[in-house]
Parts: sequence; structure tokens; C-alpha cells
Amino acid sequence: MIRIKSEALQPGMVVARDVKNIDGMLLAPSGCQLSERQIGILQAWGITEVEVEAGEEMAKAHDPLAQLPPETLARITAELRARFWKPDEFGPVPAEIFKLMLTRQARRILNRPS
Amino acid sequence: MSQPPSIKAMVQAVPRSLGSYGPVLNEIEEALKSTQCNLSTIGDAIQKDPDLTARLLRLANSPFFGFASRLSTVAEAVSLLGIQQIQDMIVASSVLEQFKGVPDQFVNKDSFWRHSLAVGIAARLIAMERRLPKPDKFFVAGLLHDVGRLVLLSQAAEWAQAVFALYGRERILLRDAEKQVLGYDHQQIAAELLQSWSYPPVLVQAVAFHHSPNQSVAKLETSVVHVADHLIVAMGIGSSGELLIPPLDEKAWNIVGLDIEVLSKMVEAIDEQVLAVEEAFLKKEG
Repeated sequence: MIRIKSEALQPGMVVARDVKNIDGMLLAPSGCQLSERQIGILQAWGITEVEVEAGEEMAKAHDPLAQLPPETLARITAELRARFWKPDEFGPVPAEIFKLMLTRQARRILNRPS
Repeated sequence: MSQPPSIKAMVQAVPRSLGSYGPVLNEIEEALKSTQCNLSTIGDAIQKDPDLTARLLRLANSPFFGFASRLSTVAEAVSLLGIQQIQDMIVASSVLEQFKGVPDQFVNKDSFWRHSLAVGIAARLIAMERRLPKPDKFFVAGLLHDVGRLVLLSQAAEWAQAVFALYGRERILLRDAEKQVLGYDHQQIAAELLQSWSYPPVLVQAVAFHHSPNQSVAKLETSVVHVADHLIVAMGIGSSGELLIPPLDEKAWNIVGLDIEVLSKMVEAIDEQVLAVEEAFLKKEG
């Protein structure tokens, strides 16, 4: 599952999580295959991002962690672990936060002008 | 060294001035008491301080508020943001401004400011996401959550030095170093300070227990500040002296009730707003 901007939606993509408007009205249910018209409706409602199902290749192209050189990934993982208090005792939520911070760091490195 | 100073003695020694925004704040307060008060009186009071006016307009036009159209006058900003909110923000920033003479030896003040600002922004965003009333109160609580550390640095420098010496030697949390050296920590100092300044009890609670939200009587508000602080330390936006990422209290996380799925969007929103608000608040004119 990946999150993509509404402008980048393509007909045929499969919605991975219910898309609702600000009032909670369902615009596109999880599992539905998007048509051109539906994409237009989502954009008209001001939806900025949609989560869609992704094949392995597409997921990799969207995952900053998969794009980093392995040694860089190992380095930033070790650096982040060293800052967290008792990372060996992480429950599910701290583990998720850790992954989020790692992804943020990876994205920053990838976006840095070289 | 002898006995560490009492919290009360330290707090009493903090001068209560409102810094450079004092005159404007007094004028707003006076205006609010008057029956003749209207939005333009408030706007006029603010406009007497050109620096504050520029900051306020930049802030009002930043993604922090996200208004669709451009606001060009203070009166517009006051009517859309609300007097209470503007007053809160000026007061809160003047509290931190008051400590600008504190030496940078242990804690870099720009970094401290960034950390405080970011926790305020994160707390407000969490409150908005959960649709809690008055999200701007959360901004103030987040902004002031570590003010106790500034009191320690400014009023008892040699004790601060002892705390940081211990912190440098051992891998412990900074607040535990404070407790070992002083017998209390920055949360208790801040609680005493804000209480003596007659801040609202909920705000005092949220600051006083941001590391142990379960002990607070305002559990929801305190938990929001706790989660915001955890996120900002993990994101590494500024620092109030703590270099490690203190543990997340899972009970507090559950009380806040944030969906883990919205967290990545929230982290992006925090990054965006911190950048924008910093532009408005921290950059000097000219």
C-alpha cells in the first residue's frame, strides 16, 4: 500500500483505504478500482492524497528506505537507535514511530541536493 | 556545594516582566476592559509595535492558519484569529523572550526556542486532529512545557552545571539527572512558576506532568503535550538540552487516541508549519 497525490492517480488503480470527505462521506471505498470520473470527483472534493494498492515495484519506487544505499540505511538506523531510550523494549506504537522517523530521515537525505 | 535552592526561591527571583511586548499587552488588556472596545481598538494597539505587526501578519498568512486569502491588515488578522488567541500567543512568546539573557553554555537558546515552538505546533495539530476544543491552548502549553529548565539555567547556574556534568557522564535522561542532583526536576519548577503567575490550572497540570501524564488531573491535555514532545524530540527539531528520546507513555498515547496511520501526515504537517512559523516569529526584521 502506498500513498500518492491525487494529481498522480491513474485510472485502474485500486483504493487501499476508504476515502472520505471532511464530513465523513464515503467517496471511494477500499478495494474499488478507480475510473477517470471517480478520480475527477476525488479531486473536486479537494482530496490531496489517496492510499492505493501497489505492486512490488511501485511500492519500492515510493519507499525512501528502499532507495537508500544499504550502508547509508544501516548508518541512519544505528544513529536513530542510539538516540531512542531502550529501543529493545519497543511495543508496536514506538516501533511504528521509529520507522516513521527513519523514513523521514531517508527522505531528507534523498531530497538533499548533491 | 551546599543545598540546592528551593523551587520557590528560584521562581520568586524570576522577574515578571512581559519583555518588549509588555506595552502592547497592557494596552490590549486595558482595551478589553473598556465598554468601547472593538476590533479596531485592538488592531491599533498592536500596530503601535511595527515589529509585532509584521510578525503577526506573516504568521496569519502562513500555513499555520491556512486561510485561503491573503490578510493584509492587522484588523483582518485580529478578526479572523480572535483576540484571545493573539493575546495567548504574544504572552507565551514574551515568557520565553524574557529568558534571552541566559547563557548558551548548556542549552543553545535558539535550539530551545525551536523545540518549544515545535512542541506547541505539534500539540495544536494533535488537538485539531482529535477535534478538541480550543486547540490554541495546546499551543501555549506546548510552547511553555520546558520553561522550568530556563528558570534553573537563569537562577541557579552552578546547579545547572552540576546537572549537566552528571548528564554528560552517564547515559541517563536529563530529567533524572535533575532529580538526582536537585531532588526535583524542570516540570516542578515550571509548575511553580506558572502557578505563581496565575496561569489556568489545566495548563499548569499539562506542563507539570508532561513526562508522567498519568499523574496529571488533566490527563487528556497533559497526554497531548506528552505525545507532542515525544514526536518533536524524535524528529530532532531543536533541543531543550535532552539529547535522548525519552520513552513514549503508551497510556498517554491511548488517551490521545491518535490513529497511527495519520501520524506520517502529521509529521509532514509539523515540518511544514515549524518552517513557516519560524519565519514569522524568529527572523528579525530588516
